Amino acid sequence: MGAEHTSVPRWGSERPAPDPSARTVLLVGFGARGCAITTAWSADVPGGRPVEVLAADDADESVLAVLTARIAGARVGWRLMLAGPEVDVLAARAVALRAGVLDAEIRCAVTSTDRKRVYCPHCRTTTATTAPVGEETPCDGCGRRLHVYAHVSRRAGAYLGFMADAEEVA
Amino acid sequence: MTTALSARVARFPFPFATDSYRYSTNVEPARRPTTTVAGGWGSGVLDVDDDYAAELAERRAVLAADPTRCQELPHMRVASWDALTTLLPDLAALCPGTTVLDRDGDRWTWRNELLGTARTFTVGDDDSLPEGPLAFLGSQIQEDVVLLDQREGALWADAGLVTFAADWSMGFDVGMRFLEVHGPVPRVHETGVIPRAEQFLMRLQPGEEYRRTNWTMTVDRRLDASTETYAEWGRDRRLVVDDPALPDRLHLRVEVQHLIRLGVSNAICFLIRTHLLSLRELATVPEWRARFGAVLAELPDDMADYKGLTRFRAAAVDWLTAS
Amino acid sequence: MTATLTAPDALRADDGRLVLEVAGVVDEVPGVRTLALRRPGGGLLPAHPAGSHVVLDCGDRRNAYSLTGDGSAADEYRVSVLLCPGGGGGSAFVHRLAVGDVVTASRPRSAFAPVSTARHHLLIAGGIGITPMLSHARAAVRWKRSFELLYGHRPGAGAYLDELRGLCGDRLAAHGSTAEMLAAVRAALADQPLGTHVYVCGPAPLIAFVEETAAELGWPGERVHAERFSAADLDPGEPFTARLARSGTRVPVPSGTSLLVALERAGVAVPNLCRQGVCGECRVPVRSGRPLHRDLYLSETERAAGDSVMCCVSRSVDDELELDL
Repeated sequence: MGAEHTSVPRWGSERPAPDPSARTVLLVGFGARGCAITTAWSADVPGGRPVEVLAADDADESVLAVLTARIAGARVGWRLMLAGPEVDVLAARAVALRAGVLDAEIRCAVTSTDRKRVYCPHCRTTTATTAPVGEETPCDGCGRRLHVYAHVSRRAGAYLGFMADAEEVA
Repeated sequence: MTTALSARVARFPFPFATDSYRYSTNVEPARRPTTTVAGGWGSGVLDVDDDYAAELAERRAVLAADPTRCQELPHMRVASWDALTTLLPDLAALCPGTTVLDRDGDRWTWRNELLGTARTFTVGDDDSLPEGPLAFLGSQIQEDVVLLDQREGALWADAGLVTFAADWSMGFDVGMRFLEVHGPVPRVHETGVIPRAEQFLMRLQPGEEYRRTNWTMTVDRRLDASTETYAEWGRDRRLVVDDPALPDRLHLRVEVQHLIRLGVSNAICFLIRTHLLSLRELATVPEWRARFGAVLAELPDDMADYKGLTRFRAAAVDWLTAS
Repeated sequence: MTATLTAPDALRADDGRLVLEVAGVVDEVPGVRTLALRRPGGGLLPAHPAGSHVVLDCGDRRNAYSLTGDGSAADEYRVSVLLCPGGGGGSAFVHRLAVGDVVTASRPRSAFAPVSTARHHLLIAGGIGITPMLSHARAAVRWKRSFELLYGHRPGAGAYLDELRGLCGDRLAAHGSTAEMLAAVRAALADQPLGTHVYVCGPAPLIAFVEETAAELGWPGERVHAERFSAADLDPGEPFTARLARSGTRVPVPSGTSLLVALERAGVAVPNLCRQGVCGECRVPVRSGRPLHRDLYLSETERAAGDSVMCCVSRSVDDELELDL
């Protein structure tokens, strides 16, 4: 119900292919499965187009810094493809969107959705968790039990949490 | 009943036209004076009442404690200036004598005796208004402000100053598409209300103004009912049920939302003006007591749940319908 | 939420049109006339996003003309009109206007606004297509946005060239030959920083060249913007008759008048709210005749059924539409 309106990303069952209209492509793979996907993608990029591949275990500061630098130097015609666990793909996508890359210029293949980041609006910190949407996780910042809500910020690459037992306490 | 109370009742934008409520794209042109059983409302896009100074003081306190309630993505600065220069003249016309706007080209001088504000700034010159046009605007009007950018065939909530949110977070939602902001609202998707609303907004031409109302309920006259402070007020939903002061503590919360296509930036300005009336105040108008009781009783469970009414709904209906 | 039955005498008084006086007439270059338009009696005109146009009443037709100002609220609008000898007469109407004449126009309509998130704006103008770009360039200078302007014009016929040179400096590249212009356009499209948006206005072949070349060079469509005046903006609709089945009354619905307004003027109160085709309030049942649906409310199935019509925006395919009123 209402899939097209939800802020929770729906990745689809089919892996996207490289955009045939791309002039240059940056492929970023996170983790072993993510890197296997970027290898397959680089074979599919239309011939003659420059392709760069970045590989990382996860979306750490150094790979995000490289991504930022690539975007700053890119020309229109550039495309970004991200592969790996949702938490890393969302983090990299957030960096790209904030730098002005369009949704239409980014394609994602998500290998797992277990790990996620949850934003606590009460203390404004973000916690890493494996709790599924609809369940609970403790907040690293304030210790409250957070309900992991089906609401995702594209800028933060995180799910919204809110105090799970706020209406129960005395 | 004191004069202040009756003024509040007289000006209250009672939102129900029938004994049942469902989601709809209930937009209508702005500035239509609307007569109610108790009085009337709706002549302008801004509304100033006797709580003006108190509410703006509360906004200042909320922002001081949590600056994330004010968000402005860098590309929205032009829209913020546009909102300020569009609405200050409106405020000056609404409160002549107590507010004065003097325009000399781009050099504007603003005086507001209700707050003791006196500022001079140059439109478009960020250095001349250090807190920024959005924050300055929010310091002068009771409304919350959200600015939507239009691009890529969609609307984006890319700026806003929202200190009186009803169970949402501007800090978290900033940068989302319109459809994403409304993602968690149930049932509304089946009826296509949100995409229709977005289509409608995207077709607005420069200067066009529309409005709609939204409603929920709040315990106590708590304007800041945001997700951020949920940890503080969540428990009141349960505690109020057994409180003998229930009819004084439970409030019908109505948002009068104005939707304006700003002329320079092409952004959509969303003004949200929150009105609270306790059940007891509401009951001084018998028609309102009866109608709200009927609406609450008939409301589908998922809608009541989404609006956060479930815990106290039965108690509210009982009180409203008791003879 | 209130649904109102609007009594005929509570209709909105104006249909939003502006009454303007010709304050100045300048012949920029042969065949291009600029009009300065002000409110009779003075006063600020509505602000508008860069790239906006107004729809001018030109005798028996309506033509859209781009506003050339930066969009801030000012006391003057300027439009430039190309004289089209083989055209329908609209531009001839404009060229006969003199200082002091009064014209009516729509409020500014925006269909070609700058994208606020753009890192750089590449403006491409051919001939009279320079008019919205003048507005874009002025707004970019006012709000300190990065831009460049490629302007192709017939030799000796480049309207606004001096003004543009002063405004843009070396951000302007003007070309008097088509071949030079197209080569410059291709070179520009091939090398723009990611984040750039391109805007084009001019003859259809130029727009086609820009769109095709951009696509070939990997520009996503979301970064390419062309100014085309849509027929819908200018289309007041064919006149038709609404027959009210219960009373037998026939209500004429002239071109430019909505079915809702025609019914209201005939004393028929129809529930309505948004008057824009979204809310669903003004739905009336149709007995015969085919509705011309222009709303955003009815589903495909409901439209196909043809048994109801949203009278605030929709019209009729047939000369007579019978309503169950």
